[in-house]
Amino acid sequence: MDIRPSPAQQMLTSTARAFLKEHCPPERVQEWVLDARGFDDALWRRMAELGWPGLLVAPELGGSGGSLLDVALLVEEMGYACLPGPFVTSAVVATSLLTDAGRAEQSQRVLPALATGERIATLALVEDSGSSDPADVALACAVPGRLTGRKLFVKDAHLADQLIVVVRERNELSLLLLPTDRRGISRLPLEAISGEKLFEVVFDGVEITADDRLGAAGCGAVPLAHALAAGALARTAEMVGGAQRILDLVVEHARTRVQGGRPIGGYQAIQHACADLVRDVDTARGLLYLAAWKAAEGQPAESDVAIAKAHAGEACLAVARRGHQIFGAISYCEEHPLHLFHKRIQAAALDYGDAQHHLETVARSIGLV
Amino acid sequence: MDFAFTDDERAFAEDVRRFLRAHPLERFAVEGMDAGYGSGAHSRAFMRALGAQGWLSMGWPRKFGGGERPLFFKLVLLEELALAGAPFGPLAGCWQTADAIIAYGSERLRREVLPAVARGDGTFWQGYSEPGAGSDLLGLKTQARRDGDEYVIRGHKIWSSHAGIATYGLVFARTSQEARRSRGFSMFVVPNGTPGMDIRPITSLTGEVYHYETFLDDVRVPADMRLGPEGEGFVALLNGLDSDRFWGRFYKAPALERTLRQLVEYANTERVRGVPLARDPSVRRRLADAAVDLAALRALFYRAACLMRDEATITYETAVAKVMADETGQKIAQLGMDLLGPWGPLREGSRGARLGGSISHSYLTSLGHTIAGGTAEVLRTTIAVRGLGLPAEPKAEARSRG
Repeated sequence: MDIRPSPAQQMLTSTARAFLKEHCPPERVQEWVLDARGFDDALWRRMAELGWPGLLVAPELGGSGGSLLDVALLVEEMGYACLPGPFVTSAVVATSLLTDAGRAEQSQRVLPALATGERIATLALVEDSGSSDPADVALACAVPGRLTGRKLFVKDAHLADQLIVVVRERNELSLLLLPTDRRGISRLPLEAISGEKLFEVVFDGVEITADDRLGAAGCGAVPLAHALAAGALARTAEMVGGAQRILDLVVEHARTRVQGGRPIGGYQAIQHACADLVRDVDTARGLLYLAAWKAAEGQPAESDVAIAKAHAGEACLAVARRGHQIFGAISYCEEHPLHLFHKRIQAAALDYGDAQHHLETVARSIGLV
Repeated sequence: MDFAFTDDERAFAEDVRRFLRAHPLERFAVEGMDAGYGSGAHSRAFMRALGAQGWLSMGWPRKFGGGERPLFFKLVLLEELALAGAPFGPLAGCWQTADAIIAYGSERLRREVLPAVARGDGTFWQGYSEPGAGSDLLGLKTQARRDGDEYVIRGHKIWSSHAGIATYGLVFARTSQEARRSRGFSMFVVPNGTPGMDIRPITSLTGEVYHYETFLDDVRVPADMRLGPEGEGFVALLNGLDSDRFWGRFYKAPALERTLRQLVEYANTERVRGVPLARDPSVRRRLADAAVDLAALRALFYRAACLMRDEATITYETAVAKVMADETGQKIAQLGMDLLGPWGPLREGSRGARLGGSISHSYLTSLGHTIAGGTAEVLRTTIAVRGLGLPAEPKAEARSRG
């Protein structure tokens, strides 16, 4: 057993920490939150130059063939900086789907462009049920035929060139790979407190042919489960990074904010609250790394991912709420960065399965009937 | 990163399971209460059986009769024993004391005490706390006065686990009145039964005896039964506390895992209006939450274990693990009481008791865990001050480290 990241992983995280410190300070995050598009093309290109969007893509398709553990470490840094944008949905979830489900022609056509960041893809999964569980997908589609209906909470649909739409085809799950500019597709923004760009995507008689299928008919469930686990891990990493940043901000504040003649961090009420933040951040990170390592090793990791995401969702949100209490009134202001991290954790906690969803997976894994 | 056990570690886990199958636990006489930490009851016979396997001394250097097994073998042994519910109460304390004797003990301690520990005949009680010195150990009053080749110890120790059935006391006493409060303390290994030593049981809220108090009335101890240099006892004690917290709680996660499995089985079989309790959404959620907590706890302990093995600096990592272990234990005990409903409070041995009456026992003993070995409050301060670098409260520096 060894808890230390490899030299290459240390390089990845230290590069990311320095790069994002320079290019993604909280003031910029705040601007992106308030802006309708909320995306910096130049920054995305720089990230692509660092090879980030290609991290999970195979080397022969222009990527670096990294693992989900590498992804977890990188996205943790993105969470630490509160970096917005389509990295998780495009470079992790869509990339995972194209890798696992795509026919050779599809992978060769789309993955190199995703790896270089020239194209962006996103997943359209959730429907009116609000559930991230593929079992709850009801949108039916005959192939060939026309697709009519809608998907909700589709992340960064405004930036995406490609939509991966989960549909029911003769009762089985199929995946469709559609260009976002196809006739009959419209993207209507939902306004979330986090400033994450979410969309209702409406399909109005969209023409679908067999070529639009990502993979074979009715074979979507397995690659989807794999991709959702990757997405859940990445969002967990984002929460861990965000919670670590909150802890760092809180500790700095507790050391320097003087009340009653001494720093508030010298009072046990604050010290004990900070100790709980340490517990929450450290446990969330420990479970993340264990789950990501298992997934990277190709071991069964379903319950580990569920444990990590369920725990981070609750623990990191607790860190955010406690952070507000320790900071006091100043953290109620829009110009203070704490709310950015808090809202991001809130968003990540819901994405790819909320705590309740993952706890049910845990309940089954411990043998509850 | 690599979270796998090595082939050797897995093979050793299988050895331990084989040993447990060959030695049914009900055959071992038990003479001291299970205080719920996960190490089970005090059983001299079981300790001797572990000694016969060579496992009590397996981590020691060969020149002390040890097997030079790496630290992770000890973790494997503790996990397997705790998962089985074995009575290995004194084990971790034996390992820690032996490590101290090997590191800085006298020839006499090495010659007399180590072989007894290796056989399972030597066990220890900790004589640290006093009636006036709980979380603030520096306030202790027990004195050890040098008299020729001996020390003469006088004082009153309390909250010593299994003291009446152990072999040696580790008595912490003041050996000089130097100005600096933290200097001038020494540790002594005092055989039980030494004249002047009066060990009296304290009945706990479970109705059984776990703690003792000891009156030391001019107890004479040879000078070479002092453990470590004179006056350096407190430094050694503080350094030891980080590992004390670790070895005193490592087996709690697997022990709670055992409890959780029992509760899952109970929820699956117990029916309410014909439906298994496991189908109740709140029961389901609380049990799943407990499983998540245990996974998190395990992650904290294995991180601390890797740091200890790699001899990396530990500031707060064992403190945070101990606090979480004890609070998780209380949470799971409460969950068990809630699941069992009116059967929860029934004692072991009572007519109608469910899960052997173990849950009411866990519930009661868990109350002491956030107090013993560093209270949750002291440890949270340790995490904040040593881990995060927050300023210590005025004049509280030494206390925060306890």
